[in-house]
Amino acid sequence: MTSLFDLPFEEPGPEAGPEPPAPRRVLTVTDLNARIRALLEHQFIEVWVEGELSNCKLWNTGHMYFTLKDSAAQIRGVMFRSALRTLRFKPQDGLRVVARGRISVYDPKGEYQLVCEHLEPEGLGALQLAFEQLKQRLQAAGLFDPRRKRPLPALPRKIGIVTSLDGAAVRDIIQVLRRRHPNAHIVIRPARVQGDGAALDIARGLAAIGRVPGVDVVIVGRGGGSIEDLWAFNEEVVARAIAGCPVPTISAVGHETDVTIADFVADVRAPTPSAAAEMVVARKDDFCAHIDRLTHRVQSAMTSCLHRGESRLRSLEARSMAIRTQVAVRQRTYQSLWRALETFDLRRRLGRIRARLVAVDARLAGASARSRHRADGRLRASAARLEALSPLAVLGRGYAVCWNADRTAVIRDAAQASKGDRVRVTLGRGELDCHVDRSHD
Amino acid sequence: MSTDPTIKDFEAAIAELESIVKKLEEGDLPLEKSLELYERGVQLSRFCHSRLEEAERRIEVLNERGQLTTSQTLKVDGDK
Repeated sequence: MTSLFDLPFEEPGPEAGPEPPAPRRVLTVTDLNARIRALLEHQFIEVWVEGELSNCKLWNTGHMYFTLKDSAAQIRGVMFRSALRTLRFKPQDGLRVVARGRISVYDPKGEYQLVCEHLEPEGLGALQLAFEQLKQRLQAAGLFDPRRKRPLPALPRKIGIVTSLDGAAVRDIIQVLRRRHPNAHIVIRPARVQGDGAALDIARGLAAIGRVPGVDVVIVGRGGGSIEDLWAFNEEVVARAIAGCPVPTISAVGHETDVTIADFVADVRAPTPSAAAEMVVARKDDFCAHIDRLTHRVQSAMTSCLHRGESRLRSLEARSMAIRTQVAVRQRTYQSLWRALETFDLRRRLGRIRARLVAVDARLAGASARSRHRADGRLRASAARLEALSPLAVLGRGYAVCWNADRTAVIRDAAQASKGDRVRVTLGRGELDCHVDRSHD
Repeated sequence: MSTDPTIKDFEAAIAELESIVKKLEEGDLPLEKSLELYERGVQLSRFCHSRLEEAERRIEVLNERGQLTTSQTLKVDGDK
């Protein structure tokens, strides 16, 4: 029943030869695992191993567990939080890596694993990979979207600069600004631009300078250096700070050939700090020239406008002069015509009126004569009839009318008068005052 | 600085000046309107020139506590 697994852990050396088997030593599992651990951990203190990452899992504790494999074999691995923090790229499944670490045995399970102290991606350098990974992530987050890019102010009020006070960049920028635009107002927020904490310092600087009243554009950058020196500008915290800066930002990192994540996020990428200074403000002279050109154009446009107005006025004047002459001529003609018409017309009208008046007069006279004649006849007839009816006519025939004394009532009955009354009697001609002596029924 | 409530900033002033030039050069405006634009143009031009002159020739340093101090050393270096 001997199998490979039953062999004692410590094999006899090759020189041992065919000797009688050593007395059987039985180990406990604990002992065995302890001995395996001692052996492995002693043997593999520092190994370099290459393979492909898979099953990468980041635990809440901050440690990462993974499997490293090649086409034929695999080994479990762990990378503790402290080691993981030093990595600039993010380990992920499928990535081919070279890992440095030691072998550790976990006694309770009899398992061994690689305790990884350092990882580097195969092919690309770690920094390059980190760069690509962050670039992809920020691109996916939309931070490079061209629509996010803000235009720079034509004439900044205050120019913010976030960089190191010790570097060449700040001097280059100031020099160029002074030359191009001597009045430029500059606000500098000093920041460490390399080494530990540089990224955070730059990010804080961006946040602070964006809040300074009047600062309406910011240059963030540094002079040239190695990729490690420039690394802060490839950190996510800087990228986010640029994206979050309330005013347009120009990135100016290293030399023309250096491209950083900051360049992708910034509103404008300048190849160098000096170039950033040139971009941030046009030459004062250029501005003046532009404004003067515009002003000149306004003036000449106005002048030609006035000229046009003037010539129109002149032609209108000429026309109005001609019209005035015509009007005067016509007016004279009209006046004479009118006068002629007036005299002519008046006389005729007067003649007509007079003739009508005469005719009317004649008709009136005729009519009145006729009506008087008719009235005369009627009057005479009426008078004859009146005469016939008149009591006076009866009186003429011998009748008399007897009145009371004051001639207000006719006495028709003898009883109306008593003895002694006075009565008046109207006769055919004249009247009598009479005294009643006696009345007879 | 000159504060003209009708002019927003330097850019706006330049843009307006450019549009005035265009309108005036097209030239089919009533005289009154042209004069009005002309006066505005002159005003804008003055504003732009004054803005170019007004910025303070100054370098300030913003420290970690958010305080601004005028830098003497940088000024001297920068002016060289």
